[in-house]
Amino acid sequence: MDLTDDVAETLLEEAQIQAKVAELGRRISADYAGHEVTLVSVLKGALPFMADLMRQLTVPVRIDLMEVSSYGGTATESSGLVRIIKDLSSSIDGRDVLLVEDIIDTGLTLNYLIRYLRGKNPASLRICTLLDKPARRLVEIPVDYVGFTIPDQFVVGYGLDYNELYRNLRFVGVLRPEVYAS
Amino acid sequence: MSATAGPGEERRHPAFAHASEAELARILDFYDVRWEYEPHVFPILWSLDGDVLESFTPDFFLPDLDIYVELTTLRQRLVRKKNRKLRRLRELYPYVRIKLLYARDFRMLMLKYGKLALADALSGTVGQVVPAGRAGSPATKSGAVLREDAGALAGSGSGSRHRRGDRQKASTGTASRPAVGAADEATAASE
Repeated sequence: MDLTDDVAETLLEEAQIQAKVAELGRRISADYAGHEVTLVSVLKGALPFMADLMRQLTVPVRIDLMEVSSYGGTATESSGLVRIIKDLSSSIDGRDVLLVEDIIDTGLTLNYLIRYLRGKNPASLRICTLLDKPARRLVEIPVDYVGFTIPDQFVVGYGLDYNELYRNLRFVGVLRPEVYAS
Repeated sequence: MSATAGPGEERRHPAFAHASEAELARILDFYDVRWEYEPHVFPILWSLDGDVLESFTPDFFLPDLDIYVELTTLRQRLVRKKNRKLRRLRELYPYVRIKLLYARDFRMLMLKYGKLALADALSGTVGQVVPAGRAGSPATKSGAVLREDAGALAGSGSGSRHRRGDRQKASTGTASRPAVGAADEATAASE
C-alpha cells in the first residue's frame, strides 16, 4: 500500500517546505534575538513542523507540547466541550511563547488555545503556522508567522492526517476526494 | 440555566430552521464560542412608502468576535439569491462583518471533523426542520421554512443568546434603515 497513491496532487514539495521552515527560522531568530523562546506545539499535526523549526532557531529554545480534543472525535465529544488532553509540562509564566501550528483553518481551536495560554501569563504570545487556509476562517486571529497560504482543499502530509494516516508523507498534498468519499 | 454550564449539563438550543445550523451550534459550543441565533434582522429593500419588502437575517452572531455567520446547504439556485442579498447587505451595512458558509464549506467542515456522512445527509433541503412553534410558517417553493414573516421585520427581534447553552432573550431587532432600495426584487421574506 503506497499512501502517495491517494494523493491527487502535490501542493508543497519537501524542498519547498524545508526552505520555508529555514526562512521562518531566520525571521523568528531575528525577532527573538536576546531572548529565550518557548515553543508550544499542538499534537499531533504540528510535530514534524515543530521538530524542523526548532532546529532552525539560533536563540535559546524550550519546547512544550499540548493536545486538545477535537470536535467529532467521539460521539460523546460532539455534545461536550473542548478539553485539554495533554497540558503544558512546565509553567510559561513570564516566558516568551511561540505557539506552533501545522495549519489554521477555522481558527476555532487556535482561538481556544490562545485564551487558554494567555491565562497562563506568558510575557508574550505569538503564533506561527506552516499553513494558513484563510478561506475557511471563522475566527479572525492575527498570525505572526505564516509559511504558506493555501487554497481551500483538504491536504495531508507533513503531519497532517486523514483518519490518522498520511502524517508521515514528506510533502503536503491534496487528498483524492474518493478516499474520503468512500 | 447558568451562563457557565459545564460539560455534561444540558444545553438548550433554539428551534433551528435547519439541522446543519444545529450542528454548527454544537461546534461553536464545543469550542466555547458564544453565539446568538438570528438576533438581528437587516432590512435590505423598502417600498417607496418605506415599508420593508425584503430583509436578511444571518443565522448566527458571534458577539465576542463581532461577526455574523450565514450557513446554507441549499442548492445553487437558492444560493444565488442568497448571494444577491448578501451583496445588498454589504452595500447597505458596510460595517457588518459576515461570513457565508456554503454547502461545500459545511461539507469540508464535516470532513475535518470526520462527519462527512452527516454533511451528505444534511445537504439541500433534506435537513430542513419545521420547528414546533412555526408549523404554520410560510414556506418557499422548495419547502424551506421562512424564519421571519414580513410583520416580524417591523422590529421585534426574538433571537437567542447562548454561551455553553445559556439562553437569554436578545434585545435587538431590526437594524436601522440606511437607504430606500428598488422594489423590483421584493420577496417580503428573509432568509
